[in-house]
Amino acid sequence: MEEKRHTSSHYEKELQEIKNGLIYLGALTEKAILFAMKSLSERNSDIAHKVIRADEEIDKLDTELEERCIKVLALRQPTAIDLRFITTAIKITGHLERIGDMAVNIAERAIQLNAEPQLKPYMDLPRMADIVAEMIKDSLDSFIRSDLSMAEKVRQAEQVTDDLNEQIFRELLTFMMEDSHSIHLSLMIMQVSKNLERIADHAKGIADMVTYMVTGECVRHQTCDLDEKEPA
Amino acid sequence: MKRNLFLKILFSYMVVVCLSFFVLDLLIKTEIKKVMTAKIEAELLAYAELLDLNSAQKMSEQLKQIARISGSRVTLVDEQGKVFADSEKDAASLENHFSRPEVQEARLRGKGKSIRFSQTIGVDTLYVAITMKSKPQIAGYIRLARPLHDVQNAIEQVYQSIFMAMMIAAVIAFVIALFFSYRLATPIRALERFTERLRQGDPVETIFLETSDETKKLADNINYLVDELRSQIRLANEEKSKLMTAFTSMTEGVLILDAEDKIEFVNSSLSNMLSDQYGDLNGKTLMEALRNVDLQKAFFKFKEIHAIVSEEVNLGNIEPVILNVSISSVHNYPGEEKVMLVFHDVTRLKKLEKIRVDFVANVTHEIRTPLTAIIGYLETIQAGATSSNEDVKKFIGISLKQAGRLNRLVEDLLVISKIELGEIKFHFEEVSIRDAFEGAIPLVEAKAEIKKIKIHNNIQENISCVWADKDRLTQILVNILDNAVKFTPENGNVTIETNKNDKYVILTITDTGIGVPKEEVQRLGERFYRVDRSRSRDLGGTGLGLSIVKHLMIAHGGKIEIESQLGRGTKVSLHFPLKNSLDFSS
Repeated sequence: MEEKRHTSSHYEKELQEIKNGLIYLGALTEKAILFAMKSLSERNSDIAHKVIRADEEIDKLDTELEERCIKVLALRQPTAIDLRFITTAIKITGHLERIGDMAVNIAERAIQLNAEPQLKPYMDLPRMADIVAEMIKDSLDSFIRSDLSMAEKVRQAEQVTDDLNEQIFRELLTFMMEDSHSIHLSLMIMQVSKNLERIADHAKGIADMVTYMVTGECVRHQTCDLDEKEPA
Repeated sequence: MKRNLFLKILFSYMVVVCLSFFVLDLLIKTEIKKVMTAKIEAELLAYAELLDLNSAQKMSEQLKQIARISGSRVTLVDEQGKVFADSEKDAASLENHFSRPEVQEARLRGKGKSIRFSQTIGVDTLYVAITMKSKPQIAGYIRLARPLHDVQNAIEQVYQSIFMAMMIAAVIAFVIALFFSYRLATPIRALERFTERLRQGDPVETIFLETSDETKKLADNINYLVDELRSQIRLANEEKSKLMTAFTSMTEGVLILDAEDKIEFVNSSLSNMLSDQYGDLNGKTLMEALRNVDLQKAFFKFKEIHAIVSEEVNLGNIEPVILNVSISSVHNYPGEEKVMLVFHDVTRLKKLEKIRVDFVANVTHEIRTPLTAIIGYLETIQAGATSSNEDVKKFIGISLKQAGRLNRLVEDLLVISKIELGEIKFHFEEVSIRDAFEGAIPLVEAKAEIKKIKIHNNIQENISCVWADKDRLTQILVNILDNAVKFTPENGNVTIETNKNDKYVILTITDTGIGVPKEEVQRLGERFYRVDRSRSRDLGGTGLGLSIVKHLMIAHGGKIEIESQLGRGTKVSLHFPLKNSLDFSS
């Protein structure tokens, strides 16, 4: 798609703007997650408040991007790869917006957790957050470069976050069994972990959409056979 | 047909020649016809007059004679137009001649003429008629008719010669045209070939034409333009290479965006700053290439206000790379505005700033803690709240201890600043390693014994000496050994080893202590830096020991390397340069 140019430079520009907007939105959500986690690990609630405020921008950009996509669909009536690009873009903005909301969830939990004494030093959570942030980055990279191997990497990392989530759950379970006072904190940490795990799911969703965009093949669900295959 | 100049000139010459002959031909033809017809007419009129002189009887006799001499047909017509004698045909068979134009003209004016196509003979014929005047008894007309064969022949003859002349002239014209068009076309073609070669980028010098007309002037102008162009290109190239050299050699990173906001140029400094963590940047937009929210925001701001925007962005993925970016537009042709981003690496500055801020905060904190204690106890004594001498003694003791700590702190700081300012004079000599350790170990032995820590001395005999200042070396060793003992739990081990490579003599002190987290290792040696603040202060340190060691090692031309594993222990390697690898006189 990068190599071939459209006859209408306006059309070309519109597509490029959507692409840029998506990357920008992705970078914003990536930053939101990292900051939310930073607020948690550094026990600094100011950062968490910043994350919550920044979500407004993410939401705004999301609707703006969606409008642009619809406008292109209506006015240009794209076909083949462009059509897949636009539909993918619409879905990706949805994923990114949800990720932004989850970063806000984490930030809110962080504010609550920071107000209480620390249950234990966070070990697996920052690791998980790093993996998740990397996944978002990779999924967007795969989108920019139409790189299927990167999308595959994201799908594999998703399994790791699932396992980490499981591990955190078991660990917190022991805390809760030992001391009923820690249940409150443990549940909040659990929520952070769950949110991270769901962000990873969304990142995988983006990677799947990229695979669809490049190959026209649907990999979201193994049994999916709805879309007509089309050579890329 | 190929439309070239030569053929065009030739063709126009030919057209001119043909046209001129056509006009000439028309003129000559009419002129000849006119002159000859007039001559024949006069002749025939003369014969008619001659015939008129005769009497009516003789007229018929002479009719044939006159006709023979004049080579014409003679007809006599009466007043009513009835033919009563003819030199060639029977008069009775001929029709009435009254309506003939020559007869009509003769009736009115006395004589008449007419040229028309004769049905009888089949050629153009000249008819001449006069009224009979000499014999009043008979009224009538004498008419002579002669075919114009001669005129036709004469004209044909002239035609032939004219055609010949025309052919000759055409050939000559062709030759001349050939010559002139060749003369004209040659320089123009030479110019064309010259400019063609220029267009293709041949390194041609100048063009020289052996003409003196406008083409010469044209060639001169072209030569001048080529010269001008060449010097302009050279200037432009020179400017470009100057600029490129500046771009590549400057420490600031430069990035240029084209009119479509895609990256067009990245200089090597910027690539180095980003240490290739983003891959190839060319042809991508800023967002695609660097995906940095702050940078993009700065760029949006620039697009909005169209003035220079300066912003600080962190472009590091793992390690922070803090760059100060200023965005400005490159003025070009309208509608083709490019954008230049200049990056200034402030990572080090930021780091230093943080160290400085940390230092000030630490130093005040370190000084305040003992001061608070001293002031507190002194105030208690002053308030007289002490019931016994014992308490006073105890309070003063604590105050003294804290004052001593303050003193140590200030002294350590002084030492560091003296080393940094180069005010400490080092007295370098061959120092026996064994002696140095034997001087240092007793100072920590007492502490070690309390914690039942064994100090193993594994000094290799073949490495006996280092080039160092003896007192400073002892200071370094005491510091390191003290740390080792301090951070090693009871029943631990401290091992001393010596090693050597081609550059350094290496003294290694390994402990089985609590270790340092991996990410903290590189911060050791910063002033007041403590991995675990509360604990190490309890152990009586000022937070300056390693910092002093680090500075002393640098002053020795060596370095300190620390490897550590959390919970396993720490290994400190002191690298002293071999004597011959450094010139200490400098």
